[in-house]
Amino acid sequence: MTFLKPSLAVPAPALDPITVEVIGAALSSIVEETGEALIRASYSTNIKERRDCSTALFDASGNTLCQAEHIPIHLGSFIGIVPHILKLHPTAGMQPGDVFVGNDAYAGGGTHLPDIVLAEPIFIDGAIVAWTVNLAHHSDFADRGHAHIYQEGLRIPPVRLYRAGELNKDVQDLILLNCQVPHERLSDLRAQMAANRVGVQRFQALCAKYGTDVVLAAGEALLDYAERRMRAGIAAIPDGSYRFADVFDNSEIEGTLPLSVEITVRGDAMTLDFDAPDQLRAGINMTHTALQATAYYVVKSVVDPTILPNAGLARPLTVTARAGSVVSCTHPAAVNGRVQTCQRVADLILGALAQAVPHKVTACSNSACTVATFIGQRKDTGAIWVYLETMGGGSGARHNKDGLDGVHVHVTNTSNLPIEALETEYPLTLLRYELVDGSGGVGRYRGGLGLRRVYRADEDCRVRVDVSRLQSRSWGLDGGGAGGHGGVECGPGVVRVRDSLTLKAGQWFAVVSPGAGGYGAPAERDRAAVTLDIAEGVIDLPTAREIYGY
Amino acid sequence: MARWRVGVDSGGTFTDICLFDEDDGRVEVWKVSSTPDDPSRGIAEGVEQGMRIVAPENGDTPASSVAYFGHGTTVATNALIQHKGVATGLVTTDGFRDLLEIGRQKRPDLYDLDADKPPTLVPRALRMAVPERVKHDGSIDLPLDEDAMRGAARELKKAGVKAIAVSFLYGFIRPEHEARAVEILKEEYPEAFICSGHEIAPEFREYERLSTVVLNAYLGPVMKSYIEKLTPRLAALGMTATPHLTQSNGGVIGFSTAAAMPVRTILSGPSTGVVAAQVVGELAGFPDIITFDMGGTSTDVALLKGGVCKLTSEANVHGYPLKAPMLDIHTVGAGGGSIAFVDSGGFLKVGPRSCGAFPGPVCYDKGAEEPATTDANVVLQTLNPTHLLAGRMPVRQDLAKAAIAKLADKLGLGVMETAQGILSVVTANMAKAIRVISVQRGHDPRDYTLMAFGGAGPLHAARLAKELDMRRVLVPRNPGILCAMGLLLTDLRADFAATKLLPLSPSSLTPIGEAFAALGARAEAWFDHEEITADARQITRTVDMRYAGQNYELSVPLPEGPVTETSLEHLAEGFEEAHRQRYGFIADGEAVQIVTLRIEAAGLVKKATLKSYPVEGPDASGAIIGKRPVWFPEAGDYVPTPIYDREKLKPGNRFAGPAIVEQMDTTTVVPPGMTARVDPYLNLILEVAA
Repeated sequence: MTFLKPSLAVPAPALDPITVEVIGAALSSIVEETGEALIRASYSTNIKERRDCSTALFDASGNTLCQAEHIPIHLGSFIGIVPHILKLHPTAGMQPGDVFVGNDAYAGGGTHLPDIVLAEPIFIDGAIVAWTVNLAHHSDFADRGHAHIYQEGLRIPPVRLYRAGELNKDVQDLILLNCQVPHERLSDLRAQMAANRVGVQRFQALCAKYGTDVVLAAGEALLDYAERRMRAGIAAIPDGSYRFADVFDNSEIEGTLPLSVEITVRGDAMTLDFDAPDQLRAGINMTHTALQATAYYVVKSVVDPTILPNAGLARPLTVTARAGSVVSCTHPAAVNGRVQTCQRVADLILGALAQAVPHKVTACSNSACTVATFIGQRKDTGAIWVYLETMGGGSGARHNKDGLDGVHVHVTNTSNLPIEALETEYPLTLLRYELVDGSGGVGRYRGGLGLRRVYRADEDCRVRVDVSRLQSRSWGLDGGGAGGHGGVECGPGVVRVRDSLTLKAGQWFAVVSPGAGGYGAPAERDRAAVTLDIAEGVIDLPTAREIYGY
Repeated sequence: MARWRVGVDSGGTFTDICLFDEDDGRVEVWKVSSTPDDPSRGIAEGVEQGMRIVAPENGDTPASSVAYFGHGTTVATNALIQHKGVATGLVTTDGFRDLLEIGRQKRPDLYDLDADKPPTLVPRALRMAVPERVKHDGSIDLPLDEDAMRGAARELKKAGVKAIAVSFLYGFIRPEHEARAVEILKEEYPEAFICSGHEIAPEFREYERLSTVVLNAYLGPVMKSYIEKLTPRLAALGMTATPHLTQSNGGVIGFSTAAAMPVRTILSGPSTGVVAAQVVGELAGFPDIITFDMGGTSTDVALLKGGVCKLTSEANVHGYPLKAPMLDIHTVGAGGGSIAFVDSGGFLKVGPRSCGAFPGPVCYDKGAEEPATTDANVVLQTLNPTHLLAGRMPVRQDLAKAAIAKLADKLGLGVMETAQGILSVVTANMAKAIRVISVQRGHDPRDYTLMAFGGAGPLHAARLAKELDMRRVLVPRNPGILCAMGLLLTDLRADFAATKLLPLSPSSLTPIGEAFAALGARAEAWFDHEEITADARQITRTVDMRYAGQNYELSVPLPEGPVTETSLEHLAEGFEEAHRQRYGFIADGEAVQIVTLRIEAAGLVKKATLKSYPVEGPDASGAIIGKRPVWFPEAGDYVPTPIYDREKLKPGNRFAGPAIVEQMDTTTVVPPGMTARVDPYLNLILEVAA
């Protein structure tokens, strides 16, 4: 095994494969540990229980050294922020203890405003050697509209929240006044600070142990290594151009939007070219970094899931789309619900690659990130409360086995909030939480089932829902059937206007996430598997008779 | 009359007995084949054989002079790994029967589209949803529908389940509904093993609690029937001492508690090895240790930094979340008995299938046809090619060779290369396990000493150390029975906890005092039950706290004496210090919340002590008992290799590899390029030659 020499002024230190491997594992354990600190010190349910946050290390020029295994879409914000900071703030003026805060999609490298990033340069002997960066999805900026980004919350370009370890209280006050739940925001920002502190200390300790030049050289070697693995994986895919098209539909927009991709594999490189309509006055537009993060995630999953999640794996990939389209939007498009579109794009890529490597992909997953965002005002204290949750759904059937039921797929990966936490923190009661019978696409292997969550409001509140696959369905592969629709069910008295619901105390509503597509012709399904499906109630007997000839 | 402390570690392949004379510190070890169909039989046989030798004067009641009996078992963990628990039913709050499958809605692997979740232990048809609902404040939203509950009980009985788990929302806050459900189940189906959330894991977070209760039910009848067989067998040997079982946290509990709460014993066996490794390592001067406990069916690894192995209160065990205190031990399903085979893609694989004690490897000549790791060692002659267990177990090298030759044909390789290939695959699997607990958690294995034990550990340790670039291997005096020994090196320990959400303020003084008094009473009752004398009783109190709004607590010790405003100030200072240390800040003015009050009760017992011996000269030639050709990959051939008798090696002795050290309970391989020395505690220390 050979390693490319790092681009340093000093002679490259001798690197053996074990040292590189050990440093690589140490980098991933640093980002995991910073993530753990962030989750443990945080206050909001979205971070402390749902783990809607990510951590990463970057090299001095802004390349991802390592991203923790949290939420793939957060890479979109990460790859944007360090270059933006470097553009706006000369490094000569930076000092140890400077911490930058940012969230903006157009001036800060973010993908939507609730994802607030804290980035801190790591100094050794007076020089910046790396960055520790973390992102927390602050469940705030709710109920403001999504016609354009100015409605979606406070836009924060990368500015110093701390200067040389001292809080820049003016900036913090400005941010907090624009938040609906300022106390929670302050506490979560503190947790983000705690996480960066761990990142700085651990990285400095790693450098003290192995030598800074060795760590930096190993970092470069790891990028090269990820690139080599990615190239080897792409080279194993037959050369050619693969097209796939689907539609996007959800509760926020009227009708359906056509989306398509053309993937071209040439040797050890891959180009992904997307086509989509013009950006909309709705929150479903994706920034280009969100598109890149989505593509990197899917291609890695198909090519080789064990490749290190660093910037090296992106080198063989070219991701293009028309600027100003839904999948590569420009100022001032709203972006809050970009993950809805990202999920559909992820399945688009799988659909195209299915033509080249059918055994390495899945049928279409639920292709959505089903969301319910609640906002209300406490009867007793008058305080505003905001609660956001995202639901899993079916994951696509594999060529040799069924899909998974009720899981988060693709670029999202958050936990559910324990019911016992949900009801303790908010005036809500969860009435049911269950798999949706019959929602998995039929086939030799069936698609995963969607989820249904039924809520009762115990105080008056408003809810915004992101539900998808209302008109379209998640496709099957090789003769497999499509998954079930997503939806919203409203109890008596609930007022619904497109994606907005108004509930009085005691009223209920339900959110349903879509099922996933099946793989292979239903006639090929094992009879014992059909018997089990019936016993488990995932399919009813008449349907089993009709589809499987049971 | 001598009083004996007896430790028994029952593994998948061998049962190890360690006998310690309380009066003169004499330690004797004994090893017998396990009897997996009924492990209690092997245990009783081993105890009987061992005691007859050390205490022949006991006559018909060989175990009558046993003063303490400690036991570590893999019964629960093996049943879980092999999914051999019982048919289990579940009763949950209506609307939430799928929670067991949904879990935290996370997929099993972030990037791997091929990954699967472990099987759900209760199929959907056996998950009964009963109308009832308690709220977070303890109020009742919907009373338990007793008719529906009774119907569910009858349905589960009709379905023939052997165990039933009951887990309702907020059962830990208001247990009435769960308790009533258990009553109805007992009325309708008294034969079933029944357990509920508030009894097994009375803690917040419904899914993790549910998973724990289901595991407990799934394993309960397995553990219960095991203990019901073992207890009379020990009594029949004349044993009057109360038998104890190790918990996953390294402490011990009585048999009856273990039968009701098998989830606390998931890591029973391996945790004793960690306790022993800690003592051996500290005496030898190596507090930073990675343990490598390789048995016949599975291998456990753990990391001790400064002699301490981290304790976790919640872990994922073979894919299932489990809320119980346990040492941070990582297990892989591979050992000396793992079977080697050629997979459909033409690659050599080893495990996870194991030959177990019966039929054992091919060389045991008990009918096995597929070669195990042990057969490869017999063929390479790293293991004695004619007999094992100090002559008690004859082996047939010709049979092992013939079995490996079949694999070699499929692979197109020579027999010796194939045998060596089996060991290389095993070594790579073990290295992966060690990376999980070291590099993946930020520890460089090169800073640690590899402590090899278990019957197969010392045989493979030097190769493994080489793979990980570790420079030192420590093989304790009795590596094959170190876990059994650990049972005699630990104090009795029990943890008592109560969850009480209280503000850290003077208004909480009374409830804090009352809660600790109640916990103290439970601890005293436990001391009485264990017959621990007043001077040997030790109590440590801690309080878990957080800022109100956080979800994770920091543990702070409470000073001795009555709980006063001063002790609350101590707690506040301790919390701020811990928070600043962990997270780098304190949130001035924010309310601190008490979550859990804990008492750790330790019964200080007379422990076995490891003796040290005077150092003699470096010349080890007196311990050489023969020479045999051993196949080493470095030479690609047989190399004439001296065989040392571990019993004859003296402190201070030194020798260089290649060498083989044989002893009753294991064989140590010293490959070319490594040297070995014996320390005053008779540990064998292997180091990379300078």
